Amino acid sequence: MRGLFWVAFFGFWLVAVFPAASSGKKELDPLLTKEDLNHWAYQPLMSYEPPTVEKGSLVRNEIDRFILAKLEPKGLQLQPSADRRILIRRLSFDLRGLPPTQEEVRSFLNDQSDRAYPDLIDRFLASSAYGERWGQHWLDVARFAESDGFEHDFTRKEAWRYRDWVIRSLNEDMPYDEFVRLQIAGDELYPGDKDKAIATGFLVAGPDMPDINLDEERAHTVLNEMTSTTGLVFMGLTLGCAQCHDHKTDPVSQADFYRLRAVFANMDFPKKNKQLSHTFVESDANAPVSHLMERGDFGRPGVEVSPAFVRVANPMGHEIVPAPADAITTGRRKALSIWLTDPEHPLTARVIVNRLWQHHFGRPIVGTPNDFGVLGDRPSHPELLDWLAMELMARDWSLKEMHRLMLQSATYRQISRSKGGSWDVAIGSDPENRFFSRMNRKRLEGEAIRDTMLAVGGRLNRKEGGPSVHPPLPPEVAVTLLKKQWEVSEDESDHYRRSIYLFSRRNLRFPLFDVFDRPDANASCGRRNVSTTAPQSLTLLNSEFSLQSARHLAGQILNTGTSDFNDWVNQCYERVFSRPPIHTERELGIAFLKEQAALLKSEDRDPSALATPLGLTMKKDVYVGSALTDYCLALFNLNEMIYLD
Amino acid sequence: MPQYPTDAEFGRPLPAGPNRRQFLGSVGGGIGAVALAKLLSEENLLSANSSVSSQADPLARIAPHFRPKVKRVIYLFMHGGPSHVDLFDPKPDLIKYAGKPLPDSFGSVMTRRKVAHNPLLPPVMPFQRRGQSGIPMSDFLPHMASVADELCVMRSCHGDSVNHPQSVYQMNTGSILMGRPSLGSWVSYGLGSENRDMPSFVVMPDPAGGLKGGPPAWGSGYLPASYQGTTMRPGVNPILNLKPSARVSGSQQKSTLSLIQKLNTAHLKNRDYDDSLAARVRSYELAYRMQSAAPDLVDISSESKATLSRYGIGEEPTDEFGTRCLLARRMIERGVRFVQLYSGGTLGWDAHKDVKENHTRYCAKTDKPVAGLIRDLKGRGLLDDTLVIWGGEFGRMPMSEQGTGRDHNPWGYSVIFAGGGVKGGMTYGETDAIGLRAETDPIHVHDLHATILHLLGLDHEKLTYFHNGREERLTDVAGKVVRGILS
Repeated sequence: MRGLFWVAFFGFWLVAVFPAASSGKKELDPLLTKEDLNHWAYQPLMSYEPPTVEKGSLVRNEIDRFILAKLEPKGLQLQPSADRRILIRRLSFDLRGLPPTQEEVRSFLNDQSDRAYPDLIDRFLASSAYGERWGQHWLDVARFAESDGFEHDFTRKEAWRYRDWVIRSLNEDMPYDEFVRLQIAGDELYPGDKDKAIATGFLVAGPDMPDINLDEERAHTVLNEMTSTTGLVFMGLTLGCAQCHDHKTDPVSQADFYRLRAVFANMDFPKKNKQLSHTFVESDANAPVSHLMERGDFGRPGVEVSPAFVRVANPMGHEIVPAPADAITTGRRKALSIWLTDPEHPLTARVIVNRLWQHHFGRPIVGTPNDFGVLGDRPSHPELLDWLAMELMARDWSLKEMHRLMLQSATYRQISRSKGGSWDVAIGSDPENRFFSRMNRKRLEGEAIRDTMLAVGGRLNRKEGGPSVHPPLPPEVAVTLLKKQWEVSEDESDHYRRSIYLFSRRNLRFPLFDVFDRPDANASCGRRNVSTTAPQSLTLLNSEFSLQSARHLAGQILNTGTSDFNDWVNQCYERVFSRPPIHTERELGIAFLKEQAALLKSEDRDPSALATPLGLTMKKDVYVGSALTDYCLALFNLNEMIYLD
Repeated sequence: MPQYPTDAEFGRPLPAGPNRRQFLGSVGGGIGAVALAKLLSEENLLSANSSVSSQADPLARIAPHFRPKVKRVIYLFMHGGPSHVDLFDPKPDLIKYAGKPLPDSFGSVMTRRKVAHNPLLPPVMPFQRRGQSGIPMSDFLPHMASVADELCVMRSCHGDSVNHPQSVYQMNTGSILMGRPSLGSWVSYGLGSENRDMPSFVVMPDPAGGLKGGPPAWGSGYLPASYQGTTMRPGVNPILNLKPSARVSGSQQKSTLSLIQKLNTAHLKNRDYDDSLAARVRSYELAYRMQSAAPDLVDISSESKATLSRYGIGEEPTDEFGTRCLLARRMIERGVRFVQLYSGGTLGWDAHKDVKENHTRYCAKTDKPVAGLIRDLKGRGLLDDTLVIWGGEFGRMPMSEQGTGRDHNPWGYSVIFAGGGVKGGMTYGETDAIGLRAETDPIHVHDLHATILHLLGLDHEKLTYFHNGREERLTDVAGKVVRGILS
């Protein structure tokens, strides 16, 4: 109905804009209407000049102009910069997922040069920890796990290679367009280059049921999942909604979905009971005929469709041409990768700069990072979003350049808490901080919490890459698994690797990550939930891991040689919070240590049954030492530990 | 400009009026000044009765869409797929045509294993009419038969997959795919919690483990983790990390916790009483209360001998499942909203080889406890506003497998309800003449879910959550309330 109406008015215009779409496919798709294309995200990227603002003195770079331009009319301004201790902590977690070392804090505080802050950013970006941190953000989006899911949840023995490829590519600052292209078509773009082919592990990273009865059902499910995920990850398009019928709100038809799916249709599927390969494999150039599947049902193939790109995001008019006679694959994915990374593509660059912004500022510009469609949130700063997208391309798609840009802005450096004056005005007029009138407080992920506890206790093993490791699970959890699903790594030092190297089992998330909202890897996750639950508190308070971490931190502090409680409290705050305690905190800490030691002594417990500090190089009073363990455990449970100012 | 907590933040009197966020009209309540003052006093912090509520609490109680028939659910999940044609759905034709292949008139049938042309297997146990209502049940279930008049046997249920994990997911989440929110999560999301000391959705897996599909069956999918099922088990450590290590004494932990709350409260005060920080302060309160509430919950020493024996506790082979059934009652008494129990480890009720042997074993473990639970709930007046569900992920085929076993059958099977809002002593719907497919008044899994939500006062079409571009529902785009069973 709607289609017919618009055809009458805009038919001519549409034929001009989308000749391919309007020729002979009328029975398949409602034609795109002008109204459909009016949605902001389908509009071409616009080139905006950074606006002029009144308080030019606050501006550090162009980002601040866009932000101030929205704040000033509301009588708001940017908050002042946080001090250096807060900044280094913010940057360190942001870029590395680890706290700054005491040495790093000291040297940053002492660096009087104008370059101190940008140099710090550069140092952190150059650290391999950067790829390990941002790799996890990408793996969330890529719904990455290392097992099939379903009943048998078989291990995918080679899946870690994709994880390592992601980390390495980010560390090498691979241009984002290449990063995208390789994940779609590394094998087709660079035939014979095994490393590039590993990137296509992205496509096959979703759940799969190898023992499903019918081959057609398996292929249908996997291809639909792959197509939907490609839409969410690179374009913020909820294509999956068009599997069964035309998209209810966005101008994506069911035919659009199955035409895009046809790009992947030549995938080699293994026989029943065999796992998918860890890369996308096409062994010839003869793709099967593709169909629209009625109601998304694998048993009901409808009309034939040819591979093509989602029309609403294809104002460039890319087409997929049949493979040449001598081709070894269909070339369809290569064409897809080129279309996605065409600078004229309205979505790709916008989607990625929004993801970068989200992780730095604690809130994306478009609140629904996987959904730029009609039902998604509108951008709070559309001009800024476009400017960042253009800037990304102008900087040769360099993600590290974009990090620098964002992190050097005055907007990023703002304080996240204060009182009185302009702060109260900001809270009052921008209660949700939609306009970035201050810095958002961010909660650390379970992975960063674990890495931090290992790091401050001196236990973190920084070994990089390779097959994933299996630290011990609590016995109550381990018994729920099938045999051989979690064989604890033999080398104990592997138990203390960074969280991104822990084996990621689809049917069982690592308990500490699970309670802190790690996504389940069954669908692309653009933005983690941040829930607060009692099991989180029980985990940080009572788990063996917490206690061991506290004992190790206590051991590290005792090994500095001092027996002065004052020094201990100082050391604890410096290591865990990157700052000295204030007077009251110090007094509370000293009082706690004294009282707790007295309590432990009065309980007359067997010294061998106490939570004494570990890794000690000298003998210490067990009661006092255990009191210090308790103190360290308390600090791990503080909001300041898991919320970043 | 103070960027760290200032000393003044400690021990400074709290504002008497509404806190900043409320004052400024922000969404989300934060925690009130009075409640915060309570938090600050250690006595209250560590008391079992302190209750702090907040709009920001994801588990705060929420009004249902309409007047509910039941407040809570106990879901007894018979993992592996119990055989409806041997338990609840007698088929004379299956006796008549025993040993013959499936008549052509039934058309082709999709099966998990190659059983479509195998001879039909008659019921392996005789059926009797039971109770006043006379609903038929087989001799496998003498105890459940004794409460037949409480049971509503839906004999026309059907789902979409012949595979265990897909069907376990579908029965729990509505979808055969992994990773959707489970029924219990949707209920927690829709109604919040009835209690402040325990999770609102508790799962007690079979101690043998091995559920096909694993914990995603009670996961919260794209709903926040607050709504996922908390795993509990009988014994001294019912919840993961519930208790401190043996190296930490109770009084030692209490003083550590007190320090945590003091420092966290100061941190919170200095940050505009941020809702999420406040929620975290509260989460330590709940955690502390759970530490005493959960062991108290699983301590059944105060139960009478009569009660214990009703559940078959203290005797084999009912002790284990009976204990979990009794714990289910104790949980709902304490305001847990949704309790799910699994019977059956890796193989469970999956009787491919020998239905009689398998079901004899599993019925012996569960029959008496289930009947005991229903009777106990009734005796305590709890059955009126509790829904008890009994069922597996599918039923079993009328054809034989390996002579005496049966393959999976998602096309027609029985699920049993008992409790508030549903008619007892009735059967509803029919499978075809041999129990292969749901035929009269078919009930798809979506319909079951719609009905369960309806009984809880929730409209399945209105209980939605926006995710990746869609207003998602437990019932996808389907589901009809089965009105015929409502009392």
